[in-house]
Amino acid sequence: MKKVLSMLLVGALTVSTLAGCGSKEQAPAAEAPSAAENQAEAPAETPEEAPAETPAETPETPAEGATITVAAIETAYGSQMWQDVCAAFTEQTGINVELITDKNLEDVIGPSMQAGDYPDVIHLATGREKALTETFIKDQNIVDITDVLSMTVPGESAKVGDKIAGGFTETSLTNPYGDGKTYLAPMFYSPCGLFYNAGLFEEKGWEVPSTWDEMWELGDKAAAEGIALFTYPTTGYFDAFFYALMYSVGGADFFDQATNYTEGVWDTEEAKTCFEIVTKLASYTEKTTPAQANDQDFTKNQQLILDNKALFMPNGTWIVGEMAEAPRADGFKWGMTALPAVTAGGDGYSYTWFEQAWIPGGAANQNEAKQFVAFLYSDAACEIFAKAGAIQPVLNIAEKLEGDNQMFYSIYDNGAKAAMGNFAAYDSAVVGVSNREVWFDPVNSLVSGNMTQQEWIDGIKSANDQMRANLIQ
Amino acid sequence: MKKRSGRNGFIFLCVAPAVLLFAVFMIIPTINVFRMSLFKRSAYSTTEDFVGMENFTRLMSDTNFIRSMQNTILLIVVVTIVTFAFALVFAAILTREKIKGQNFLRIIFYIPNILSVVVISAIFSAIYDTNNGTLNSLLSLLTGKTVAVLWKGENMVMVSLIIAMVWQAIGYYMVMYMASMASIPQSLYESAGLDGAGRITQFFQITLPLIWTNIRTTLTFFIISTINMAFLFVKAMTSGGPNGASEVALSYMYKQAYTNSSYGYGMAIGALVFVFSFGLSALVNVVTKREPLEF
Amino acid sequence: MERTKKTSADRLYKAFIYVALITLAVTIIIPVAWVFMASVKENSEFYGNPWALPAGFYIQNFADAWGKARMGEYMLNSVLVTALALAILLVVALPAAYALSRFEFRGRRFLNAAFMGGLFINVNYIVVPIFLMLVDGDKFLRGLLGDGLLLNNIFVLAVVYASTALPFTVYLLSGYFATLAHDYEEAAYIDGAGYGRTMLRIIFPMAQPSIITVILFNFLSFWNEYIIAMTLLSDPKGGKTLPVGLMQLTQAQQSAAQYGQLYAGLVLVMLPTLILYICVQKKLTQGMTLGGLKG
Repeated sequence: MKKVLSMLLVGALTVSTLAGCGSKEQAPAAEAPSAAENQAEAPAETPEEAPAETPAETPETPAEGATITVAAIETAYGSQMWQDVCAAFTEQTGINVELITDKNLEDVIGPSMQAGDYPDVIHLATGREKALTETFIKDQNIVDITDVLSMTVPGESAKVGDKIAGGFTETSLTNPYGDGKTYLAPMFYSPCGLFYNAGLFEEKGWEVPSTWDEMWELGDKAAAEGIALFTYPTTGYFDAFFYALMYSVGGADFFDQATNYTEGVWDTEEAKTCFEIVTKLASYTEKTTPAQANDQDFTKNQQLILDNKALFMPNGTWIVGEMAEAPRADGFKWGMTALPAVTAGGDGYSYTWFEQAWIPGGAANQNEAKQFVAFLYSDAACEIFAKAGAIQPVLNIAEKLEGDNQMFYSIYDNGAKAAMGNFAAYDSAVVGVSNREVWFDPVNSLVSGNMTQQEWIDGIKSANDQMRANLIQ
Repeated sequence: MKKRSGRNGFIFLCVAPAVLLFAVFMIIPTINVFRMSLFKRSAYSTTEDFVGMENFTRLMSDTNFIRSMQNTILLIVVVTIVTFAFALVFAAILTREKIKGQNFLRIIFYIPNILSVVVISAIFSAIYDTNNGTLNSLLSLLTGKTVAVLWKGENMVMVSLIIAMVWQAIGYYMVMYMASMASIPQSLYESAGLDGAGRITQFFQITLPLIWTNIRTTLTFFIISTINMAFLFVKAMTSGGPNGASEVALSYMYKQAYTNSSYGYGMAIGALVFVFSFGLSALVNVVTKREPLEF
Repeated sequence: MERTKKTSADRLYKAFIYVALITLAVTIIIPVAWVFMASVKENSEFYGNPWALPAGFYIQNFADAWGKARMGEYMLNSVLVTALALAILLVVALPAAYALSRFEFRGRRFLNAAFMGGLFINVNYIVVPIFLMLVDGDKFLRGLLGDGLLLNNIFVLAVVYASTALPFTVYLLSGYFATLAHDYEEAAYIDGAGYGRTMLRIIFPMAQPSIITVILFNFLSFWNEYIIAMTLLSDPKGGKTLPVGLMQLTQAQQSAAQYGQLYAGLVLVMLPTLILYICVQKKLTQGMTLGGLKG
């Protein structure tokens, strides 16, 4: 769940959190270019810029016996893989690693950082409740690691930048300031999509819908058998869903406009299509879902899929492990599909969630820390991570996976397009609401009938006006 | 003369440590709540910007805050009335009537009060489950139809919170009132009985007036405690959802301070709630003022 | 004629009372028993009917909670913090309450009012300022000694607990002291005893029932407290208290759905309070008349 949460939040929260953290400066004026806009240009710039800058900064060979502190969030993957990777790193480079892992990493390292004692490398996804990463981004307190991309992976001949899969170092999550420089290293990625019981589909002879029209048809068919079309664990899981939906409705242009709160974007045809799809989906949603869509009961919603009481839910690949011990209908088999296309022949999209590792500005051993970041993409490290289920965004990794994971990670090989990026950050100390609150939480009310589509849209519009006015550069 | 200075020295030694600890860990932090509410400060940067009353003016137009205050007030009013009514009536019954197993019942009723809120929330999550929960299955049994109330859904979530909070508080106050009712002389009831006063009349004419001072004190503090308990329950049971329907003042303060990392804004909420609870307690204290009755 | 009629109405009334009391008792006993039952269920049993009896006695949950989830270690910490905080509290509060209630001196009224006011200060409002204060203190100490001492320190946590419990404790104790006749001290002075000796040898022994009440109430609140503990003990390798460990277990439950461990943890948190309560419930409920309010 934690992972999920973070994931979900990615979208919604990221935005808001980013914004949220910074209370100390007034947000820049409305016209400031947002990260997302730059994101589009970034690809072209990064390769040229990065190498050009690196020579001066290339880290010297670290002294043997140096010690760095690595702080990594412990998620469903467990902490053992981090211990193994750190040991492998020490063996490879002679640099000692003091490892801190905890489920509440912010509580652990926060106090000492406030007192001026920083870890050298922090692995912590954006979109977490405490928004520590976002705070550092906002305070511009993160070391530029563009030069790491041109470094050689310790113990290998390949460069880091050549190993990382395309697109991952060009997003607003890794290049938060849109200046073509990479500040956060992409880690453990996971495609998100709609999860379902493939066994049930085989049994009933149903096809997985490829357009929303087919989706509604299927919904009516399933309703006749007492099965709801849709459920969701919590509204936090909608971020990946909305991002993919925005991409499939209007492509990257619409996504960029929407995530930057462009004026009038919510009155466009594309936006109307998005709202209508979600409202319609709400009417097809299993009725107990909102009452269970909280951090305590969300597994009950996930159980609806296992019990064949609902067909689809937005989720991520960790769901398999999360529900491993849950009872399930006979012949249950996990399936995952991208969001359906809006029109026949259109593109289906699947959002990719990933976590980030970064070096705080106050780190004492930055050169060694960069070595460590580079090592995270080594074959040895990738293998250790993969064994625990954490998949590094390196090329050709899907081939090395087995079981459900191979199916999940090959979703993009099967025609779905990848959606990446997130809402632009705004100063949440001024705005005071998050995208999750205005965008996703109301879905609970749409399902239960406590809110109309128009009320929902109005809420989004007025909140987005404020967010636009308080964008963080 | 010597004795006098010894006296002052003794008093000083007795009082100083308590005053010191009280000042450092309660007075200064409280002052800081009010001071910080005038500033903007984020989590990991130490600089503060003075913004005057800006945090407060923003609060006044923050619909989420207004809703969280409405929820808080709803909880204060309903939980207080229900808890006190039940606690007083049950206490009167247990003290006045000869009930078998009275002592056992008293022990049981007090248990929820010693449980951690985390435990209680876990219990109520199971009770409120829509499909498997006891509450719905009990209702189905009673009505003969399948009842599927969404206890944690938007329409019922506050009711569910109220039930859990009353469950937690009722035993404590019952036991307390039993203790004070026990000191009312039996002879008062006997003479009232001879005058033809029934149980209900006796309850209102004798029991309530005689323990009124106790009721007043507990009422004052119950209000403060409810604001706090509401936060603990919301945090552990609903996270403020669905769609903010169960957000209360203090949980909103935490959300702003920790999730949104705006300590200043969060402390502004804290300051406001603080003043609110203080004022409300004072108000209740004044409104419930009666001439104390002696036995 | 009249008599029989009254008896039958009486019977009905009695029956109604019993039904009401037993219903209330059942709503308390069953959920608590349910947690104990759930704590010996295997993980897979949690997805079915939550009220089904456990298939077996899966004691592994407790072993996992105790060892893997470090609850055993946390329990030791909780015992330490609670004991330390109670000791500090008594040492500080007893003399203060005595002096404030038995001696006339300048500033007494002010101090009494201040401690009374402290009753209205909720710890949840001031935990952020307390935390920030300790952070600043640590920064200063780091410069001075090269290391911070205030955070992740069980002793500091105990001091904070004791300090935040001061208003309630002083209020309760001085309420008791004020009821004692001044003759006791006069007699002691005439016998040549000094102030300190009189207080320690004469007054405190008489206050034993209130002291026990103070210990019981504060034990429960220290033992169940988690927000301050979570904030001030944040080092992963360092100690945590049991409720914080339980919170962590809740989160572990979220990432890997370890329900069995969670409920075993709930039992570990509940058990000491339940045992203590059953041992001393008489004293606890008697003591309530002294305070009349909740800490």
